[in-house]
Amino acid sequence: MTVALDIDIDLARPWNTLAAATHPTLIDTTHITNAAFGFTNIPMAVWIDENGVLVRPAEAASIERSPLRDMEIPEGLPEQLSKVMHAVKAIPDDAEAYRAAILDWVRNGAESRFAMTPDEVIERSRPHSDDEARARACFELGEHLRRTGHADSAVAWWKEAHRLDPQNLVYKRQAWTLVTTPAGATEYDLMQGPNDVYDSNLVDEVSGEGGFAQFIVRPTL
Amino acid sequence: MILTELRTTADAFHSSTGWEPKPEGLCRGEICVPAPGALAPDGSLDVTIAAERLGMPIVHDVEHGLWALGSATLGGRALSTAVAADPELKTFDNEPFRLSSLRGKKVILLAWSSY
Repeated sequence: MTVALDIDIDLARPWNTLAAATHPTLIDTTHITNAAFGFTNIPMAVWIDENGVLVRPAEAASIERSPLRDMEIPEGLPEQLSKVMHAVKAIPDDAEAYRAAILDWVRNGAESRFAMTPDEVIERSRPHSDDEARARACFELGEHLRRTGHADSAVAWWKEAHRLDPQNLVYKRQAWTLVTTPAGATEYDLMQGPNDVYDSNLVDEVSGEGGFAQFIVRPTL
Repeated sequence: MILTELRTTADAFHSSTGWEPKPEGLCRGEICVPAPGALAPDGSLDVTIAAERLGMPIVHDVEHGLWALGSATLGGRALSTAVAADPELKTFDNEPFRLSSLRGKKVILLAWSSY
């Protein structure tokens, strides 16, 4: 099943409709599942067994190689687009192994070598200090203020969430896109480049030394 | 969890945080954290006590009279228990949905976004 971490259902809906999924598709407008499962980026997934017990913690969850990886980047693209495309091509690719692991678990259940014990799941979940927990509160407060008509007041809280949990790309991208998407647009801006509101932006963060990889929790397979 | 005062109902706290206030403590999965004085006989909960016991930071927005409760830091990992959280989510048709409705099936919960 899928859950969209999106504060605006109307911008997520077209993608959901296009997918025409046969599994349950959910929307999480308050990002409550970030805290509940440890999602910090997308796509990420957890595995849950028949008894409602996690057998793998939140980790990157691509199941097919993106065609963008193999695409030759044309000369003459706008600089920001070129930077992001180069960054995308450098994302670690675990898709084939991750897909195989899923199929193994489906076939073998608890006997699968990819299914963890409860203690392993907890131990391998993301470290969670007071800063990350406080970032969650700040993000939620910002989301609440925005939803209740105080969008300007949300920014300071989202900046604080970014400062406290800099590895959480969901908190960042959700905020950046709201200030870089033109008014009236039917889709979010995916580039999320330099802007006048936040000190950080996607283009600069992923085209730097750490690339996208600094935000990715690679599956240990 | 967003609050307008530092007292709430046990049900609201459970629904928002996954931790269920019980006479023996704040419980989730196989874990119960003792929290003397947190749960009142009328079912209301002292959020300050509960938050302290679970290591949940509290953030205060003075201008808007709001508090926000951070996630639990018990154990120092994102997950305090392997028992899957069961927050109420919504379908795209605005119908409530809980993961627990899929008990008996293997579930992969995949997060995505449109941004």
